[in-house]
Amino acid sequence: MTLAITKGARNALVFFAILATVGFFLPDYRLLVVNQHLFLALNVLALNFCLGLGGQISLAQGGMAGIGAYASVIAHSHFPQASVIVVPVVVLAAFGFAAAVSRPMERLGEGFLAMATLGVSLIFTNVVLTMGEVTGGSAGLMVDSRLYVPGLGELSGDRTFFFLFLSVMACGCWMFAALKDSRPGRALLACKDDPLAASSCGIDRAALRSLSFGLGGAVSAMAGVLHAHYGGFINPEQFSLELSLKALLFLVIGGPGNLVRPLAAVMILETVMSGMQFLGEARTLAHGLLLTAALLAGYWRSIRPIPMLTIAARSVAPGRKPM
Amino acid sequence: MVIQYLAQIVNSGLALGAVYGLMAIGFALIFNSSRLINFAQGELLLIGGLTLHSLTQALHLPPLAALAAAAIFGYLLGHALYASTLGVSINASPLRQLMLTVAASLCWQGVAIVVWGKNPVMLPQLLPLPPVRLGLVFLSQDTLTALVLALASVFFLSAFLSSTRTGRAIRAVSMNPVAARLQGIRPGQCHALSFALAGVLAAMAAMAVGPQTMLRYDMGLGLGLKGFVAATIGGYASVPRVFLGGVALGLAEAALVLLLSGELKETVTYILLIGLLVLAPGKQETAHPA
Repeated sequence: MTLAITKGARNALVFFAILATVGFFLPDYRLLVVNQHLFLALNVLALNFCLGLGGQISLAQGGMAGIGAYASVIAHSHFPQASVIVVPVVVLAAFGFAAAVSRPMERLGEGFLAMATLGVSLIFTNVVLTMGEVTGGSAGLMVDSRLYVPGLGELSGDRTFFFLFLSVMACGCWMFAALKDSRPGRALLACKDDPLAASSCGIDRAALRSLSFGLGGAVSAMAGVLHAHYGGFINPEQFSLELSLKALLFLVIGGPGNLVRPLAAVMILETVMSGMQFLGEARTLAHGLLLTAALLAGYWRSIRPIPMLTIAARSVAPGRKPM
Repeated sequence: MVIQYLAQIVNSGLALGAVYGLMAIGFALIFNSSRLINFAQGELLLIGGLTLHSLTQALHLPPLAALAAAAIFGYLLGHALYASTLGVSINASPLRQLMLTVAASLCWQGVAIVVWGKNPVMLPQLLPLPPVRLGLVFLSQDTLTALVLALASVFFLSAFLSSTRTGRAIRAVSMNPVAARLQGIRPGQCHALSFALAGVLAAMAAMAVGPQTMLRYDMGLGLGLKGFVAATIGGYASVPRVFLGGVALGLAEAALVLLLSGELKETVTYILLIGLLVLAPGKQETAHPA
């Protein structure tokens, strides 16, 4: 069989090639901002597992990233230099937790699931605030330990973390594409289209969806681990509801189920939004308007599948006065 | 000692519960008529309250005028919210509609920051009622005002929904939009009206909550969520029951604050929400608006 590159794979390759080039040539201090966007993009990718594959809305991404961050930091303070063991254990635990959480919530409808997962996020924040002795409460936690890889030493620096984020994202994208093309992936898509019909065909809906939800949780937790050791400081604010809501917004803007488009939407729109600092207090309003416009643009494009050019051309046909 | 504690719980619980109840009714109205979870519900309260604050600064409002101003402004605000979210995306996927309300809440938060700044604003008590002592239970001025406002709203809303033509049309649309349409009802208008009514209720809630806690640009989401929890406890079906759900939530929170710490109160509230959602039967959304 010849190596045929599909359109999706080509888009993904182009996307990662552009990002890698940006990472090579941008000065270090600018990468700081780009890495924040990459953290958000990883959460969008994680949400894509839940929503794009399983058809399940989730506002727990912020909470899952926070669980990954806090678990990794606390574990590293007890076992420094054991990153090779700690990180996989944390990610696996997050997978298990998310899968377990998803199990009873699986049958909830769209809006109710959103609220229930949002509750998970809020519970995480409040638990962190309550357990001040371990987590530092609202004051946050300084991260002294670095990620340690035998042979490479301690990982630090903006550029290193840029490529770490990027490689985790590439792995996540590969997992997403592979899962989508597999038997469980197709079963998940069937559940998304029509849950009742899918389960009457003998698909174990709850189990499959807990798989996709768990994978989403694991990717978010991994993003949280990287974010914590990169920033050197964590507090509950960083993993608040805002992160979950933003992830969902960008995924809906890019279209759930698409692989590259939501990620590109994050990188572009976030760059535009971080360029709006000069607006000062009016920033929030501008962000809101921009996101509304992006949402509506996607909707209007979807209800007019024919390119607008042809319609416009017809309406200014000879003999008719253009508006 | 214990009795004093209990009286304290009842007083602050009822004050909060009345506000939660009003938010919950607005939430349930919109959800029933258009199957949309309105994330901007708290911002309706926020903007309504802040505008009322500016009005009281500029004019000296007598109580009834303040009430009327709040209601009219809430009504307009609800229509504006409808026009900017569901109205422009009536055929979009429910998810996109949901996200539009999230974006709207961000926009309105931005408006609040630009116009009123980030400092909390204290709304004066516009309906001064005397405090009441009923045996052991003591109801402070704020509590009594909140309760009266809320009960009056519940009464008028129930009457409107059950005995006017328009109210019955709203209920018909929430039962079955397609059948309602076949009877000559315009679902779009009913959706808009339910948003507007939710706006009025949120303005009433703002009048109740303003003097208790200050109004701040980021308070919307938290209050909206409490409204959702309350609506879930009340079961969405009837106005008085949803309101009682709010009162129950307020009393439970007040009790938890006195027994445990503030953060634990939130944790318990949301665990309660998840438990209710998972365990309650028949809460699955089936129909989407046509």
